[in-house]
Amino acid sequence: MFHFVPLIALFASCAVGQPPGQSSDAAPPELILKHAIELHQKGDLAGAVDEYRAYLKLRPNALDARSNLGAALARRGRYEDAIAEYQQALAIDRHNPGVIMNLGLAYYKTGRYTEATGQLASAHSLQPANNQVTMLLADAHLRLGNNTKVIELLRPLEKANQQDLGVAYMLGTALIRENQPAQGRILVERILKNGDSAEARMLLGATKLQAGDFAGARDDLQKATELNPQLPDVFSAYGSALLATGDTVAASAAFRKELDVNPNDFMSYLDLGVLEKQDQRYDEAMKKFRRAMELRPGDIGVRYQIATIYVLTGDVSAAQRELEAIIKDSPQFTEAHVSLATVYYRLKRKEDGDRERAIVQKLNADAQAREPGARTQP
Amino acid sequence: MQLNRRKLLALLTGAAASPLLPATPPLFEEIPASQSGISWTHDNALSPSRFLPETMGPGVAFLDYDNDGWMDIFLVNSGPSDFFTPPKPLRNALYKNNRDGTFTDVTEKAGVGFGSFGMGCAVGDYNNDGFPDIFVTAYGRPILYKNNCDGTFTDVSEKVGLGAKIFENHWSTSAVWFDFDGDGRLDLFVCSFVAYGKDGLLSCGDNKLGVHFYCIPRVFKGTASLLFHNNGDGTFTEVGQGTDIAKSLGKSLGVVATDINNDGRMDLFVANDTVQNFLFVNRGPDATGKTRWEEMALAAEVGFSENGQARSGMGVDAADVDGDGWQDLFVANVDQEMFSLYKNNHNETFTDVAHQNQIAQATRLLSGWGLKFFDYDNDGFLDLFLANGHPDDMIENYSLQVKYKEPLVLFHNEAGKFVNVTATAGPAFTRNFPARGLAVGDFDNDGRVDVLIGNNGGAPLLLRNRTGQSNHWLGVKLVGTKANRDAVGAHLTWSAGGVKRARLKNNGGSYLSSHDPREVIGIGAASKLDYLEIRWPAPSGRVERFTDLPIDRYITIEEGKGLSK
Repeated sequence: MFHFVPLIALFASCAVGQPPGQSSDAAPPELILKHAIELHQKGDLAGAVDEYRAYLKLRPNALDARSNLGAALARRGRYEDAIAEYQQALAIDRHNPGVIMNLGLAYYKTGRYTEATGQLASAHSLQPANNQVTMLLADAHLRLGNNTKVIELLRPLEKANQQDLGVAYMLGTALIRENQPAQGRILVERILKNGDSAEARMLLGATKLQAGDFAGARDDLQKATELNPQLPDVFSAYGSALLATGDTVAASAAFRKELDVNPNDFMSYLDLGVLEKQDQRYDEAMKKFRRAMELRPGDIGVRYQIATIYVLTGDVSAAQRELEAIIKDSPQFTEAHVSLATVYYRLKRKEDGDRERAIVQKLNADAQAREPGARTQP
Repeated sequence: MQLNRRKLLALLTGAAASPLLPATPPLFEEIPASQSGISWTHDNALSPSRFLPETMGPGVAFLDYDNDGWMDIFLVNSGPSDFFTPPKPLRNALYKNNRDGTFTDVTEKAGVGFGSFGMGCAVGDYNNDGFPDIFVTAYGRPILYKNNCDGTFTDVSEKVGLGAKIFENHWSTSAVWFDFDGDGRLDLFVCSFVAYGKDGLLSCGDNKLGVHFYCIPRVFKGTASLLFHNNGDGTFTEVGQGTDIAKSLGKSLGVVATDINNDGRMDLFVANDTVQNFLFVNRGPDATGKTRWEEMALAAEVGFSENGQARSGMGVDAADVDGDGWQDLFVANVDQEMFSLYKNNHNETFTDVAHQNQIAQATRLLSGWGLKFFDYDNDGFLDLFLANGHPDDMIENYSLQVKYKEPLVLFHNEAGKFVNVTATAGPAFTRNFPARGLAVGDFDNDGRVDVLIGNNGGAPLLLRNRTGQSNHWLGVKLVGTKANRDAVGAHLTWSAGGVKRARLKNNGGSYLSSHDPREVIGIGAASKLDYLEIRWPAPSGRVERFTDLPIDRYITIEEGKGLSK
C-alpha cells in the first residue's frame, strides 16, 4: 500500500554511467550517483546500495543520496540499516518531509508503530494535504489501538474521498472498535456496494465479533481470508473469532498465518502468547509477549501477561517488580492486584497481601455495583 | 509386560476388527429405566423467559434411608415458585433398593415428594439416631426431612430453626453436613447463590438471538452462605454471622468439607460462579468459644485463575489424590476457563496441576457440575469422574465448539497422575448429557462404586461400575458414638501388600448431591488387609487398629465397639 520514495530521480542530463558492477573509485562522483540511481530504478538494489555508499564516501552530506540509500536498503528489507541512513539524513536536514515520511515508513515496516507515529505525525504536520502520509499515520495508530486518533485523522478525509475504500475500511474498523457499530456499518455498506471483498467481510466480521456473534464473525472472517489472505489483520481477526468459538487449535494456526504475512501483528503475538501460556509453554509465550511489547511498548495487558509468567514460574521478585509498576500505572487493574496479593503472600508479606486483597474486594464490589442489573420481567 | 486394564482396553479397541477378541465390557454400564424401575424424570420448568433456576438442577443422592445396608436413591425436582406454577404436580423421588438391581418408588409413603423449586440435597444423620436425614435445597424454602426411622420422614425445617424466614434472601444450592466444632454432632453449611427474585422476577436480558437466555450470572448480586450449628437438642442456630462466612458475598454452587492443613478441624472449600472461590479455614474457637473462620482462597491460590480472574466455579471436591497425606482440591468451571486440580503444598497454599494431569486440556470446552474422586477400579488410587453440560441451552447458536449437552469424562489415577480414559470407558461416555448433580455409591454392594447423574430436564443416568473383579476391596461403614455418628472427619489408614495408604472421610463435594457414606478401600491385587486404623474425629480422637479383617465385603465398625455383626 505504501512505498519508500527515492528523493532523486534519474538525472536526464547526466552522462551515461559505467555498467553495473564496474563503478570505480576513480569515476567522477556524479557518475557514480547516476549509476546508483540507474541500478535502483532497474531494481538492482544490491548494486544501487554499493554505488550509493561509494558516492556517500565522497559526498557524506549528500542528503538525497543518503535518503535513496535508505530507500534501497528498505526495499531489500534491511529496515534497521535504512533507519540508520534516514536518521543520518535527518541530521543533515531535520525538516525534510520526504525523509521523515520514509523514516516513519521504515519504523512502520519494522512494527515500531510508536516511533512510526512520531515521525509520521511530523510529516503530517509538514504536509497536511498529503493523503498518503495521513493514511499511513492512521494505519499506524490503528495498529497501536489508538482508534480515536484514527477517527480524528480520517473523518475529514472520508468526507472528501467517499469512494476511497481504504479510508472507509480503516475508519470503519476504528469506529467498530470504539463501539460505534452503527457508524461503522455505514462504511461497511459503502464497501459492499463495490461487491464482495475481503475488506467488507473483514469489517462485517469485526462488527459481529464486537457484538458477540462469534460464529457469524468466524464465517465472515473465514471468507475474508479466502478472498485476500494478504489483507493485514485478516488472519488475526479470524483467529480471534475462532478463539471466541472455542477452537483454540485453529485459532493458533490462524495467528501464525497472520504472522507469516504480517510479522508485526501485535494481537497475533499477544493471543498466541496467551494460548502458549495456557499450555504452560512459558518460554514460547514469553517470546511472544516480548515481541508484542516491542510492537506496543508499555502495553499494560502484555506487561501483565509477562508478570503472570513470572508468577507461574516462581520468579517472585520479578513478578513483584512488574506488578507493582503495573498497578502504579493502572490502579484499577483488578487482576494485577490479585496477582500482586498472591506474590506478597508468597513472600510472607501478609500485611501487603491483605492490603491488595482488600483492594481486589473493593474493585470487585465496585464492578458488581456497576453491573446494569438484572431486568425485571414484565 | 504388565498390562493394566486401561492399556488392555486400548489394545483391544485398536484391534476391534478382530472377530477372535471378546467384546470389551464398558467400565460403566448404563442401567436403563426399564431395568432399574427408575421412571422419574426431572422437569426443569423450561420457559421462554429462561428463569435462571430452570437450568441449575437437579441434585441426586445415594442414601440408605431404611438402614438395610443397600443404597437407595433420592432425586430432587423443581416445583412451584414465584415464576412457575407446575401444570401438574411435580415431586422429588425416593427409590428403595430392591437388592436385585431394581428400585421401587416409595416417595409417597416416605413423604419427601413435595416442596418448592428444588435444587439439591445433603444427607446426614444430624440427630445421631442411626437413620439418615435429608436436607433439600431450593430456590424458595429448603426443607429438612427428619427420618422417622420407619420409612417415613417429617418436614421439621421450621421447628428446628431452618425455616423459610432464615432462607428468605437465599437461593440455596449445595449443602454439606460436617462437625466443625468437634462436639460430635453434624452441623450444616448451606451454599447461597445469587440474590434472585426478591424484587421481581429476573432475567439476564436478551441474547444475540433476541430472546431471553440463561446468562452468566455476573449481573446478579452475590449473597453470603449460611452456617448452622447443631445445638444437640434437635435445633440449629445460624453462626456464620460475624465471621468471614457472612462477610464473604459469593455466588456459591459447590462445597466440600475437608481438612486442608491436617489440624484436625474441618475446613470448607466453596466454588463460586463469577466471583472468587472461598476457602474457609477453620481456626478453632476464639476466647468466647466461637469458631473463627478465615477466608483465605486468594492467599492459598485457589480463589482465582492464573490470570487473576474469578471463574464460574460449580462442582468441587477434595481428596488426597497423590498419596502425600494432604488434601488436594478440585473445581470445575465453564468452557474456556478449564477446570483446576489444586495440589496441596502442605503450607495452606496450592498449585494448580490440572495441565500436568491432562485435565485442563480435556475440559477446555466443557462446563462441569457434578464430579467426584473415587477409586472406581479398587487399585488404591482415587480416580476422577466429571459430569458436564453447558448452562445455556442456546449455546450452540453462538458456538460450534461448545455444546449444550456434553460428554462424561473419566480420569484414571495412575500412581498419582491422572490419565484420561474416557475413550475406553463405555458407550455412556460417547453420549452427551445436560448433566448437573452427580453422586457415587455402590448400589449393588459388589464393592465397585457406581455413579448416579441428574440430568436437567430429563431422566437420571444410573451407571453400574463394571470394572474387573481382579482387585480386592473392603467396604467400611463407620459409626461414631462419641464422634458424629456419620464419622465425617474420620481418618482411615491401612496397609495391604506392604503398601500403606490413608483417606480422610470428607463430606459433600460434587454439585447439589450426596454420596454413599461408606468408604470402599481398594487394595488392588493384595489378598489381605494387613491392618486398618481408624482415627475418630473430635471429640473422640480415639485411634483403633483392626487386623484380620475380611476382604471383598462390607463391614461396620462402631467407635469403641469394633466390628458390628
